[in-house]
Amino acid sequence: MKKQLVHIKGTKEGLVLRLDDQCAYAELVEELSRKVSEGSIDGIVDVQLHLGNRYLSNEQQDELVNIVQKSGNMHVAKMQSDVIPIRESNEKLITEQYETYVGIVRSGQVLKSTGDIIVIGDVNPNGQVEAVGNIYVLGNLRGIVHAGIEGNRDAIVAASHFKPTHVLIADSIEIMSNESPAVQNSSEQLFAYLNRDGIISYERLQEVRKIRPFLNKVKGGS
Amino acid sequence: MGEAIVITSGKGGVGKTTTTANLGTALALQGKKVCLVDTDIGLRNLDLILGLDNRIIYDLVDVINGRCKVHQALVRDKRVDEKLFLLPAAQTTDKNAVTPEQMKSLIDELKREYDYVLIDCPAGIEQGYKNAVAGADRAIVVTTPEISAVRDADRIIGLLEREPIEPPKLIINRIRKDLMKNGDTMDITEITTHLSIDLLGIIIDSEEVISSSNKGEPIVMDPNNKASLGYRNIARRILGESVPLMTLEDEQKGMFKKLISIFSK
Repeated sequence: MKKQLVHIKGTKEGLVLRLDDQCAYAELVEELSRKVSEGSIDGIVDVQLHLGNRYLSNEQQDELVNIVQKSGNMHVAKMQSDVIPIRESNEKLITEQYETYVGIVRSGQVLKSTGDIIVIGDVNPNGQVEAVGNIYVLGNLRGIVHAGIEGNRDAIVAASHFKPTHVLIADSIEIMSNESPAVQNSSEQLFAYLNRDGIISYERLQEVRKIRPFLNKVKGGS
Repeated sequence: MGEAIVITSGKGGVGKTTTTANLGTALALQGKKVCLVDTDIGLRNLDLILGLDNRIIYDLVDVINGRCKVHQALVRDKRVDEKLFLLPAAQTTDKNAVTPEQMKSLIDELKREYDYVLIDCPAGIEQGYKNAVAGADRAIVVTTPEISAVRDADRIIGLLEREPIEPPKLIINRIRKDLMKNGDTMDITEITTHLSIDLLGIIIDSEEVISSSNKGEPIVMDPNNKASLGYRNIARRILGESVPLMTLEDEQKGMFKKLISIFSK
């Protein structure tokens, strides 16, 4: 018997179509259109397409979605593949990588990062740190920091000694000369984040795990 | 082969020129052959502080443009015999008359003959600064305990750290003991932790520095002055001696004065 190229499986969330990742694309298209037209289903069903180790261009993805949805009673909720192109992977790496700067960001210097940045040293007044992601300062933060410079409103700024002059997150700015006394007098390690109302707020560093739990990147472990 | 040290600050008026004159004289008094180079073209002052202004014939720009040889432009300080020389800046042109490359070859030439070449840098971070730093092997940053001077020092240290020279060292100039003790100015630890570079020495403020500068006689010639002692200590540290930092405490008071101070509390 010929190997099945499309497996259909029913789950609580709807149907899962597991597509073979070894055959030619044309064969797959042929079998998929045959499979989806023969079944009879009442109402509209959500379908997930699992591509396995096959990479599809955007046009091919659209083609598959059209084939499935042509039957009229299937809706593609999700398409997933186990592989991504190197270009996409590199882009992801750049925005997620940590850069480490060892030294002092002095007056007039601007330190830029395409991802998160850790400064081991001080940020002096009029020194500036800009990052697409988060900014962590192991030392005195007394300068200007701009986290999420490309608009990431989830970015945070954390420092051992949190005494910046200006804090910017995405497109919000806070000038610390009229800051809350809580920041001025706090001996705790603080971090700044954008709260739900879009206002920069400060909290103890320990609260990051509650306010931004997705910053945890550690996978596995015991 | 000698060593070229640039003396810079970023901010004007913190005492770069006074420091250059005094350190140069102090090093010469220690028996080293010293050449002072004024790179503040257009606003020359170093010759005045040294009292050599009326003996200038040629200047730095003349040397660089080949109008004279280096030794013809050098002005000798008669007080320190055959040890201290000045290469004055030109007064009739500006900082753009010289390029960093030209400065570097000039300083390299001087280094062959002198133990120390001290380069007096102009204020600012533009062409004049670039010229002054070009030939240097080491840098000394001068600041005062004022917040504006410290901020500018921070900026200049940032620029110096990008140059291929040794990490800069710090001199805190014009310390007013009373103000520092009351916390009205930044104190020494505050400044050094803020700038986080090595402290080369401190100079306690003294009115005689002003009067002796006006007379064209560096204060370091007066062995009994506190500021003079500060400069002499720094010169010894440059020569590699380890000299403890001057204390800010006043001399031991007499018994009678102690009693008065107890009762006046």
